[in-house]
Amino acid sequence: MNPIRLLLLLAALWIGTAGSAFALDLGDLVNLGGKLKKIVSEVTTEEEVEMGGNLISGLLGAAPLVDDDELQRYVNDVGYWVASRSSRRDLPWTFGVIDSDGINAFAAPGGYVVITRGLYELLENEAQLAGVLAHEISHVVRKHHLEALQKVVKREFWSDLTLTAVDNKKDRKKLGKLVNAGVQLYATGLDRKYEYEADLRGVVLAARSGYDPFALLDVLTTIDSINPDSKELSVMLNTHPPTGDRLTQLADRIDGHLDYYATGQANPKRFQQVSAAP
Amino acid sequence: MRNYFQVLALGLLLTAPALANQDGLIVRLSPLHDKASSTSQRVGQLSAGSRVTIFGRKGGWKEVFSEEKSMVGWVRSYQVREGNYAEQAPKETEEDSRGFLAGLASFSRKASRFLTGNNSSTSSGTATIGVRGLSEAEIKSARPDFSELAKMQQYSSNRSRLDRFVFKGQLSANDVPHIGSKKKSSSGGKNLEK
Repeated sequence: MNPIRLLLLLAALWIGTAGSAFALDLGDLVNLGGKLKKIVSEVTTEEEVEMGGNLISGLLGAAPLVDDDELQRYVNDVGYWVASRSSRRDLPWTFGVIDSDGINAFAAPGGYVVITRGLYELLENEAQLAGVLAHEISHVVRKHHLEALQKVVKREFWSDLTLTAVDNKKDRKKLGKLVNAGVQLYATGLDRKYEYEADLRGVVLAARSGYDPFALLDVLTTIDSINPDSKELSVMLNTHPPTGDRLTQLADRIDGHLDYYATGQANPKRFQQVSAAP
Repeated sequence: MRNYFQVLALGLLLTAPALANQDGLIVRLSPLHDKASSTSQRVGQLSAGSRVTIFGRKGGWKEVFSEEKSMVGWVRSYQVREGNYAEQAPKETEEDSRGFLAGLASFSRKASRFLTGNNSSTSSGTATIGVRGLSEAEIKSARPDFSELAKMQQYSSNRSRLDRFVFKGQLSANDVPHIGSKKKSSSGGKNLEK
């Protein structure tokens, strides 16, 4: 099995192990030949897109797209425009609104970004949508998911195990435990520093795209005003730094840098027309 | 100084049309500046829960009037939340801002539906693998849906669609370097390296 196959397997684990197609096959893992060192740099764009597609398919299996062509096309236009202002404009950027009450957005390697209906309904204008998408786009551009995976693989597999020779029960058990540890890491979300970085780069991307970059801060303010005990927010708060901390950090870092761009577009009319469509 | 602000505030309130100003709530302890700039003079501070009237916006700032303090000044845009609240949220201290922010949802039109949220699903992180924002049950039943992926890909934008979208939305492409990066703006803008 090549390194990419392993990545795909691990990627599948993010989605959940309940689906039979994603059941973990330890055999696949232990048959892996050769060591894997620099995953991030070795993964080709094509492989990254394939991995992201698999991830997103699992997500879509959990919550399908909202059945609204105009809405989906609109979100793709906003996202594609913002992504085109990034250093990875050539990825096949694909965006979607999924039918979930949860308040969150999700990115996968290769240029896939989805936002939940719950979060979309909190937004008030196009600049806020652009801000949220720009945060997720930044995760993809910076390959945060791949890097996180690399860390898991490095720490949990390669340091302790010679994978070509895991044939006894004890090692298999250990391997299983390590895989679970890797999955666990994803359950807690990306490293906090990646989230702060995505916030900071996201507002810059929004400014580059002609939007008011402060709109992302407005979204975070709205989220911060929601009862933190609400079930719609629980997963986001489990996987992201506290919203108040994000606001403080972001405001401190951008202080004075982006004021000039705050007169950027918000396009509330266009946003509301799409949102109001049946 | 104080009198000056009072007069100015009163003048603004009287001359502006009734609908032009908006109510607002300060969501966190905020320094009040005399201009829309962090380097401008600090003229005071407003505590979380203070009611203000918002006169306008400039850059990432909002100009507000605090009746309680008889002061006009500028606060960071995200520090004040707009809305027509019928009842005043309970005023709390900075330390207690979490509770205050939860209460604040009562005046937020869009956020109010979350007030009735329960506590049942706040603890488990294990089942929400990577799929942030979905419930445990939704994830557990998840099976990859490749036809839905194909559908999603059909909505992807393209160059010609983008041109129209950008033109209609009057969006301009700006040259903005990443903050903290060593790269200088190619337009000769200020170096954002810290």
